[in-house]
Amino acid sequence: MTSSAAEYTELERVRRRVFLALFIALAVALHTFEALLPNPLPWFRLGLANILGLTALFIYGVRELWIVSIARILVGSLILGNLFSPGFLLSLSGGLLATLLMATSYRLWQAKIGPVGVSVLGALGHAGGQLLIAWLLIIRHPSVWLMLPFFLLFSLISGIVNGLAADLLRESLLNHPAFARLRKLAG
Amino acid sequence: MKRIWLQRLTAFDRKLVLLLSALVFLSFLVPLRQEAGARLLVESGDKTLFVASLDQPQLVELSGPLGLTRFEIKDGAVRVLSSPCPNKICIGLGAARHSGDLLACVPNRLVFRIAGKSAEGQGYDLLSR
Amino acid sequence: MFARPQWVILLLLVVAGLVWWRAPGGERQLVRTALIMGTLVELKVFGTNEDELERATAAAFAEMRRVEALLTSYRPESEISRLSRAAGPFIVSEETAALLQRGQLLARQTGGAFDLTLGQLKQVWGIESDRPLVPSQAELQAALTAIGPEALQIEGRSVSKRSAELQVELGGIAKGYAVDRVLEMLRQAGVTSAAVNAGGDIGLLGAKQGQPWRIAIQHPRKTGELLTVLPLVNRAVVTSGDYERYFERNGIRYHHIFDPRTGSPARGCQSVTVVAADAATADALATAAFVLGPQQGLRLLERLPEVEGLLVGRDGGIFQTSGLQREEP
Repeated sequence: MTSSAAEYTELERVRRRVFLALFIALAVALHTFEALLPNPLPWFRLGLANILGLTALFIYGVRELWIVSIARILVGSLILGNLFSPGFLLSLSGGLLATLLMATSYRLWQAKIGPVGVSVLGALGHAGGQLLIAWLLIIRHPSVWLMLPFFLLFSLISGIVNGLAADLLRESLLNHPAFARLRKLAG
Repeated sequence: MKRIWLQRLTAFDRKLVLLLSALVFLSFLVPLRQEAGARLLVESGDKTLFVASLDQPQLVELSGPLGLTRFEIKDGAVRVLSSPCPNKICIGLGAARHSGDLLACVPNRLVFRIAGKSAEGQGYDLLSR
Repeated sequence: MFARPQWVILLLLVVAGLVWWRAPGGERQLVRTALIMGTLVELKVFGTNEDELERATAAAFAEMRRVEALLTSYRPESEISRLSRAAGPFIVSEETAALLQRGQLLARQTGGAFDLTLGQLKQVWGIESDRPLVPSQAELQAALTAIGPEALQIEGRSVSKRSAELQVELGGIAKGYAVDRVLEMLRQAGVTSAAVNAGGDIGLLGAKQGQPWRIAIQHPRKTGELLTVLPLVNRAVVTSGDYERYFERNGIRYHHIFDPRTGSPARGCQSVTVVAADAATADALATAAFVLGPQQGLRLLERLPEVEGLLVGRDGGIFQTSGLQREEP
């Protein structure tokens, strides 16, 4: 290598930006794809897009998790054409609470927690945040809370699945030469 | 890539998942209020005169062109008790309880409509009577 | 995975399939209600263009109001009211003449159990007024003179009554006819899936999103309970019951379906439901079968082609035609 150390970090910065953009693009694609899937009940979402947020969190850090999550919700809703609709509000409130929980848990237990733990917390936060907003803004009726247990159970399972998927993705990405330096840092 | 899925969870993850599973299980046991309720809407012409939940028993009087129509909400259903119309068909119609059900006092221009619960649940599209 | 083109193509196909699957969700249901012909009329229409559906339902309700103005006896200026007041031969519109012809045919087919000329009988009972009463035998006899299937002479558009006092009353067919007209208007507007419910007179156009319409039949004694559910496509269903319009005197319940033979409420049935190709026929036959009672009524419905029925006898026994398809609950 003839390049200087300064050029090297510049390359790393560009790389990180490109990968973040790729993460956001993939997350948006999954977000849209999920909206196409047949689903019996409007609120039971798999949250596949969160796989990218989780991977960003474990490869780069908390700031990148926020960027991927928020960009994904905004761009995804723009594509689906429900920006600022009630569905968007649900998506946003769920997404924000989920991201908050994921970021906090990662900060608190960084050494011990893995993608599955973070993912499950995020999924449950997503469910809770959505129902809260649904109850506050849309259907102010106690029957909303009747759905909560089913909703939570579904989130728990999808959270585990997404966490495993994120771990797989992280593993295969870290094996890629572009992440060689990060791999060294991760040890 | 070949690791089995359980090995992808850290020890902390496993404890966390167990704890959260227990909480979700508990949430099934908490009695979260009664059955999801339907609403009653009373309309006259294009106007909605009255809206109420069918879970809340009450006696209501509403006026139409002929006078006062009295109806009651009880046991999740609505029925007309008295009306100043000549034929009293609205009383003979009995109770309405399912989403999509309709009662009407035609001479007094009142239409009672049940809304809210999913209409699929009642198992039919139209009622012949 | 993305190195192999067949995977990418497969993925694109899956996405295309899902897009296609979600896209026809554009089919909407429009529900509108109106108070016409003394009853609550509910109209359900399926289609993709909401503006068109809105126009079609407005036109359908307008058509129903036109039929109401033409055929109902409580409108003094309707053709039927003027025919009832006329002493000699009276010229009606072609439409009214055609409906009277059909009514007369049904009256003959039912041996007079369905009757177009019970206007006087309705008046002596005061069943539409706020003070109904039980008339004397003499009053009943007077109201029944000259009625029957041959009471009207219809030649082209000219209608003459056998007696000047005869009052024409299309209550047992006009509502069904109006339902048929509504469906015809919707069909002309290009609607392929719709249902009209005019106070129990139901007309169905096509199916409901590829599935048969599910028509529930009210239990005649237990309010809110269902007798059965009938899966139907392109059919009309009319139920006549003794439980809807009635009054009580000295502990006896008098309802609004009169037996032309006695002039009193028919006692053989609690309710009769008739399924036919059009609502006018179903309406008239439900009245006729109710008057005839369960056994004779069942025989009448079995005899007629494309007609099915479900009868509940005086004691709650259920009779049904052999071709009736029910959904078991």
